[in-house]
Amino acid sequence: MNLPAGETKVKWNKWWRPDEHNERRSVMLCAVAALLGLLIAGAGLFSARGTRIAGVPPEDVAVVNGSPILLSDYVVQLQALYNVSLSDATPDQKRAALNSMIREELYVQRGIELGLQNDFTEVRNSLVNSVEAQQEIDGNATVPTEEELRDFYQSHLANFQPEGVMTLTDYVAPDQGSAQRAVMAVRSGKALAATMAAEGLKSSGATDDGEEFYFAAEQHLGPTLFAIAKSLQDGQVSEPTADGGRVHVLAMQSNRKPVAEDFNAARDQVLASYRTDKIARMRAGTDRFLRQRADVQIAKALQ
Amino acid sequence: MRPLRARVLVPLLAIAFLLVVVVALAGFQRRERRELLQADADRILDDPRLAPRALAKGRKVFLANCAVCHGADGRGSTATGTPDLTDQDFLYGTGRASEIEAIVLHGIRSGDDKGWDLAWMPAYGHAVPYAREKLPSLSPPEIEQLTSFVRTLSGASGEDPKAAAAGGALYEGRGGCWDCHSRDAQGDTAIGAPNLTDRIWLRGDGSRRDISRIIRDGLHGVSPAFRGRLDPANVRAVAVYVASLHARKGN
Repeated sequence: MNLPAGETKVKWNKWWRPDEHNERRSVMLCAVAALLGLLIAGAGLFSARGTRIAGVPPEDVAVVNGSPILLSDYVVQLQALYNVSLSDATPDQKRAALNSMIREELYVQRGIELGLQNDFTEVRNSLVNSVEAQQEIDGNATVPTEEELRDFYQSHLANFQPEGVMTLTDYVAPDQGSAQRAVMAVRSGKALAATMAAEGLKSSGATDDGEEFYFAAEQHLGPTLFAIAKSLQDGQVSEPTADGGRVHVLAMQSNRKPVAEDFNAARDQVLASYRTDKIARMRAGTDRFLRQRADVQIAKALQ
Repeated sequence: MRPLRARVLVPLLAIAFLLVVVVALAGFQRRERRELLQADADRILDDPRLAPRALAKGRKVFLANCAVCHGADGRGSTATGTPDLTDQDFLYGTGRASEIEAIVLHGIRSGDDKGWDLAWMPAYGHAVPYAREKLPSLSPPEIEQLTSFVRTLSGASGEDPKAAAAGGALYEGRGGCWDCHSRDAQGDTAIGAPNLTDRIWLRGDGSRRDISRIIRDGLHGVSPAFRGRLDPANVRAVAVYVASLHARKGN
């Protein structure tokens, strides 16, 4: 029904007068507010990062049953298959690369449907490795403060010592008596080589290559003799020591013991070590968490 | 006092206006994000419309996430072995934005299966120099010989020719250095093996002490994977920004 202009104005004025009760206005405003709320919630729901309901997001090239195929992976695939960039790829190359990726995704999804992780050792290993890799990724992304890094360095000084280096000769004596006489003579100031030769001591050949790292000396001498060698100072000879059925005398020419590098020189190693330590702690934490929340029942025979 | 109607209408109109502005801004940002992500990463720097926006956004992302290691100017640090991103000496790839984007997403030795992790510099002064492959340890004199050889590659003077020749034999033989750094010592950007002839040093300054230390203790820097930590548009923007650092200098 058409109302005269004056009458419409009167009605609108009445509708917008907040000091007057108007049920229709209340309902209308509630409806508008509800609609607005729904619109905002809908926009948030369907456009939030990671939401793949409203079409293919710009960072993906396809969405297969809700699983995205990333554009960045697609670019790598084009490069790997045809050695071309996205712009230089022909439509056929693009199609073929995309098809291969969609096929792979479908097969992965099918594999999960079939529960292949229960049947194939390789799949199980890959899953375990992937979870561990995720912890490694998180650990490697850690950026400690300078203070944390310095604290870590102080509490793990031994990790930042380069190997010690020693140069020595391992003499083998014909018997305990000649070994003892040779040691006494050298300690009293006689020339090493002449004294050893005079008493019939010969080099075992184990350390004749000259300067070597501690780990190499340990391999060449064995743990007993290496422990003695480590404690010798430059120019010292050891007590005669029986090892492996022979009597040995060690003559140390030079023994550079490991000394921790200063923080600034070792900074990159400290950071790497800090991250490795963090990854180990994260793995231990994940193990505990998974066990705590799991319902593990063990057969009586094995309890 | 204003009539009650005006007191209600004005705020309502203001809210409506704000809503329109917010929706318009969100729409603009979505369009910008879409354009950035759907463009070819390697062509964005040549696009006069996209490039300034990508660079501005990329710089912010760089400062917030990368500068802590590479420095605000992207020049890295030879003290910590962090690569200079502004030069033309590429450890991995050829410096294209798409390659950098893959590094930002998946990292280098980050643990991400899609990241770069084909080789590490072995620590020849350790009992087990390389975990993935059986390699021999070298003795301190051998490390010194190899150091002499590496220094002569980049034209350093004052090296004992005999020691350098012995180092060359180790490079080609027992040390297996050629396998990564190649026979001509020019490195291999497919595995991140540096060029040893160009006088550009990743760690240290090419002194005997620095080179000998690297041969003794190895080197394997890590670049974290930002997949899942950064929005894809931010990854794209920072890759374009980093590509611009060396592109500017190169051009």
